[in-house]
Amino acid sequence: MSKPIAETNAELARSKGSSKVKDGNTVSDSRAAGHVPDFLAIESSAGFKELMKKKKAFLVPTTILFLGLYLLFNFIISYSNILEATFIGDISWVWVFAFSLFAMTWILVTVYMKRAEKFDKMAQDTLKEFNYDKEENR
Amino acid sequence: MNATVIIIFLVIVAMTLVITYYAAKRTNSTSDFYTAGGGLTGWQNGMAIAGDYLSAASFLGIAGSIALFGFDGFLFSIGYLVAYLVVLFIVAEPLRNLGKYTLADMINARFNAKKVRGAAALSSITIVVFYMIAQLVGAGALIQLLFGIDYLWAVLLVGVMMTIYVLFGGMTATSWVQIIKAVLLMVGTVILSFLVLQRFDFSILEMFAQVKTATPHGEAFLNPGVKYTIPLDTISLMLALVLGTAGLPHILMRFFTVRDAKTARSSVMWATWIVGIFYVMTIFLGFGAAAFVGSEKIISTNAAGNMAAPLLAQALGGDILMSFISAVAFATILAVVAGLVLTGASAFAHDIYGQIIKKGKASEREQMLAARYASVGVSVFSILLAIFAQNLNVAFLVSLAFCIAASANLPVIIYTIFWKKFNTTGAISAILTGLISALVLVSISPSVMNPEAGAAIITGTPIFPLTNPAIVSIPLGFIGGLVGTLLSKESDIKKYAEVKVRANTGGFRQL
Repeated sequence: MSKPIAETNAELARSKGSSKVKDGNTVSDSRAAGHVPDFLAIESSAGFKELMKKKKAFLVPTTILFLGLYLLFNFIISYSNILEATFIGDISWVWVFAFSLFAMTWILVTVYMKRAEKFDKMAQDTLKEFNYDKEENR
Repeated sequence: MNATVIIIFLVIVAMTLVITYYAAKRTNSTSDFYTAGGGLTGWQNGMAIAGDYLSAASFLGIAGSIALFGFDGFLFSIGYLVAYLVVLFIVAEPLRNLGKYTLADMINARFNAKKVRGAAALSSITIVVFYMIAQLVGAGALIQLLFGIDYLWAVLLVGVMMTIYVLFGGMTATSWVQIIKAVLLMVGTVILSFLVLQRFDFSILEMFAQVKTATPHGEAFLNPGVKYTIPLDTISLMLALVLGTAGLPHILMRFFTVRDAKTARSSVMWATWIVGIFYVMTIFLGFGAAAFVGSEKIISTNAAGNMAAPLLAQALGGDILMSFISAVAFATILAVVAGLVLTGASAFAHDIYGQIIKKGKASEREQMLAARYASVGVSVFSILLAIFAQNLNVAFLVSLAFCIAASANLPVIIYTIFWKKFNTTGAISAILTGLISALVLVSISPSVMNPEAGAAIITGTPIFPLTNPAIVSIPLGFIGGLVGTLLSKESDIKKYAEVKVRANTGGFRQL
């Protein structure tokens, strides 16, 4: 797997690195030589760390929330009858909870779509900081 | 079989063949073949995911199950839908950013070891085979019922169609068959739902009140506990459903058909809306069938309740609507099995032949040939299995496929993306522990062993009490990966940094 990366980087260097060679000892210089980018440096950069922190702050609590509610629902309906009490007419709370899980899914998907745009921007900024624009790698 | 059925049926077949013809012209490389060149848009892939996911078991099976068992028939749908949050939050974007054609590609982005690829291919193939047998046996029985032709011919018909789509049109044809099927399925379900709701004066309360008196279960019909009475069994199964989707190879493969993580994300959004709205409408179909067809008639036509939706269509819209719904069911079957053939072929031709045997050095022409041979091979093998499995009870194979996906694939995906210390030994042991424990536990469970002769594959008292082993095998998959990792000293921090950066930024892709 590492070989194709080296190849794409070589391509990248051909398309972009050549103009930057005269800049001197920059990051792009090493790429022009066909080296694998320094992922450890990117990983420990402030921008990337911030991205990971923000992602974690969103994904960990929401995942615990949705899996927790889902399991709670299954435990309640399996081991007790409390949700079988009437909500309106013949509709019991079981249906209300079930539909809340549907609504929860749609809401979390929508919220994540918004959040992910911010994550995308942060990721893009990180890549740019290391002179790498992902649009060019397609 | 009346004339309307034949006409609608032929129109669908002709339409899919035209698609395949145009798709074949655009299928010139392995990337075209496996991923439609990676050029699908978010809504296209979202519809295709829905088309891949909503099998005949979902359409006819769930509608029938709701008609016969009420709330319990609907229960699975909750798991099937919430599962997409796992797909969206954890799997979709890293998979798109790291992988090329298969799940094994993604895991190998970190490990680059033949053994890991082999293990991942093995679990994908196992899942595809089980899922496929269930689909084909179900399809054979259904088409027999819907169109009144022999089981053997029904399986051959579906088998030949799926082979043509995949062999000539690759992922482009498969995707468009799935998209068209999703549209047809939604149109059919909306029409039926509208007709049902009209009969209840568009009042949900009225619907609940009337259904209660229409079924032999009475009030219990509207609450859990009619069908699933063993709590731990239900929970185990629901766990397999919610965690399994994110490990199903034919669903994962769909994320390689889009250009980037952003599009992968929006395809999950589309899929979530379509799948969710569909499941809500199955309630109307099921309740409608219970009220206007009646459980006696549903059971007498097919004991599992699979004919509830077509019978409802006949009751509400006559023969024409019934023909349309039957044709939709046929399209549904075709779309799902085509996706499975392609996924199985990718594991054989790309992972095993291209990467393991040829060490990634096969020429483009060799790869294409391998992909096409593998497609035919997977098709023929599944058709033969389906013919021999005709009289076996194979319905449990779908939930087993979800269980293996959750136990063998999900742990390794999560560890690969999130765990710094995870290593090659851990990856192999995570996959194999999950796979083997799920298989062994199921083979000694009530799904396979039944004291009553002929009720299951083996006659005898089951050793493992749960029909679905997920609650045991998923933790085992995670523990397997943990223990394997700790037993080996190997670790590559640099490689993990690379995987982490690539998975989270979408940069440094190799295409």
